[in-house]
Amino acid sequence: MDRDLRIVIAEDDPLLREGLALLLRAEGLDVVATAGDADGILDAIDAHKPDVAILDVRMPPTHTDEGVRAAVEARRRRPDLAVLVLSAYVEQSFATELLTGGVNGLGYLLKERVGRVEEFLDALDRVASGGTAIDPEVVAQLFTRSHQDTRLERLSPRERDVLALMAEGLGNSAIAERLVVTDGAVHKHIRSIFAKLDLSPADQVDRRVAAVLQYLEDARRRA
Amino acid sequence: MAIQDTAAGERGARREPEQGGERDVEQGPEGGAGFKDVALRAMSDAGGAIGQLASGIGTAVTALLVLVWLAVTAVLSVVGVGLLMVPGVLGALHALAGRERARLARYGPEVVAPEPPPTQLRLALVDPTTRRELRWLVRHATLGLLLGVLGALLPLVAVRDTAFPLMWKLMPDGATATSIGFGTAESWPEAFAVTLLGVGWIAIILGLSPGMARLQAQPGRLLLAAGPDTDLSLRIAELTATRAAALDAHATELRRIERSLHDGTQNRLVTVTVLLGAARRQVARDPAGADELLERAQSAAEQALAELRTVSRSILPPVLADRGLAGALSGLAAESAVPCRTDVEAPERCAASVEATAYFVVAEALTNIAKHSGAGQAAVTVRARGSRLNLRIEDDGRGGADEDGGSGLTGIRRRVAAHDGTLRVTSPPGGPTTLEVDLPCGS
Repeated sequence: MDRDLRIVIAEDDPLLREGLALLLRAEGLDVVATAGDADGILDAIDAHKPDVAILDVRMPPTHTDEGVRAAVEARRRRPDLAVLVLSAYVEQSFATELLTGGVNGLGYLLKERVGRVEEFLDALDRVASGGTAIDPEVVAQLFTRSHQDTRLERLSPRERDVLALMAEGLGNSAIAERLVVTDGAVHKHIRSIFAKLDLSPADQVDRRVAAVLQYLEDARRRA
Repeated sequence: MAIQDTAAGERGARREPEQGGERDVEQGPEGGAGFKDVALRAMSDAGGAIGQLASGIGTAVTALLVLVWLAVTAVLSVVGVGLLMVPGVLGALHALAGRERARLARYGPEVVAPEPPPTQLRLALVDPTTRRELRWLVRHATLGLLLGVLGALLPLVAVRDTAFPLMWKLMPDGATATSIGFGTAESWPEAFAVTLLGVGWIAIILGLSPGMARLQAQPGRLLLAAGPDTDLSLRIAELTATRAAALDAHATELRRIERSLHDGTQNRLVTVTVLLGAARRQVARDPAGADELLERAQSAAEQALAELRTVSRSILPPVLADRGLAGALSGLAAESAVPCRTDVEAPERCAASVEATAYFVVAEALTNIAKHSGAGQAAVTVRARGSRLNLRIEDDGRGGADEDGGSGLTGIRRRVAAHDGTLRVTSPPGGPTTLEVDLPCGS
């Protein structure tokens, strides 16, 4: 961890909330506040001005998507706030709802990933520094769902692997490491992906983000 | 008899529900039922038949009153006043017919009610249902009443005449000796002759009462049931509604299960992985400190197991499959905070979902009793009658159970309604409280 992150946690299960706080504190991170529901966490965000908010999706009173709505609201109030949403299961619409509001500083992970502490801290760090962290499971679902899409059909299997890792928020060298190829090869794949998805370098948007978003959008339309 | 071997119960041929509530007699060995079995069966049949005949007196007397009322109305209608009384008397007729249907259903197959008939005079005069009910009314008020009274008197006469030698000395000289009103007894042999007459009565009861009961029930079964040409749309609407309620209850149930799995068990397991992850990092830094984390992870895992057990038990208690309804209910009674007796006679297995419903109803009711009633005693009675399962849960508590009071009664009603069953709660202030549940066996 290269900087001293201030974190708030919203999780309605007290044991899990404590466990998370314990884990992060043991790693030397500064958990400034915890809350058990959406209102509580929005108040805490206003009061403590944290760098990152970790939110559970299902919270009282309805146990459906309170966390997602709190995340959207928190980002509306403070656009620079990094938000990491934890969910017990993959829900396409949640991911899309979160990411269409801007992907910078956003994460959507399955809860159990927290147990893989190193990777979790990695994702947390990425999100805190303005990157994206999308759960491999979510990405995998996007790929199966958008299989019939002609534009996505143009991608080679290798390019799809690369895009999957991009969607997870990994950088070029991290992708190269995962796929055991050279940085140059990854570079080539990414250029090819952009071309096949009609993303020209002239576009103002971050093309990496646009590529990932295209998948999310396609999947959402299909659903 | 109460608890039948599961496999045999499923394999064995189903016995048709018999007239008179017979249920306690096993089929005799093949090819030569013992005399004892035959005698027991005949007595049980006769007992049930006498009970049925006597229970018919109630509706028969009311039928007679309604018949008189009807006659008065008809006469007064000639001068016009009676026309005002028509809706009332027709309402009484339909209500009585409904009661008779319910009574008959207790002693045999259900009598499906036709669509409610109109209460306007002009429509009623041509309405087939009303006409059939009127024909039934006349027969039940006369023949039905006669049979009912006979059925009630026969046992009395039989007892009196059989026991005559015990009391003839005490009777005034010249008093009639027999129940049928002739003959006097002047000596012991004559007194014992009266006993013989009593034995004759008993033979008549054993031989004739089941037939009498059938005869009494026949007009009702014939005339009160919806005819083949009757419009069954009401029944269909009712079934549609209960089916919708069943699906609703099913969805609620699934939501409950999903929620307890997600927000309970799954969160516990996530906690385990989080704590294990933290512990692994801790081992590298300070092995001694990791033990506390592992300890917490272990207790979270144990909680997950306990929650999983609760959830799976709430779906279908394994004890039902292992020990049948009777065994499962006596287990519940043994765990109950308030001392509870159980009396279960359900020789045939019902559909698993019906048994599960019965189980949850009793569990919920006993919890309610322990929580709210202040009772010192509770009793659970279960009877399988024909294709219906009747539950009765009583306590001697303070009563005043209120369905709106956030008690488990609403839940019980929903579960019962989902199976097309009925719940009746009797709970006057001061107690006692009785829950009566009637469920179709559905197998």
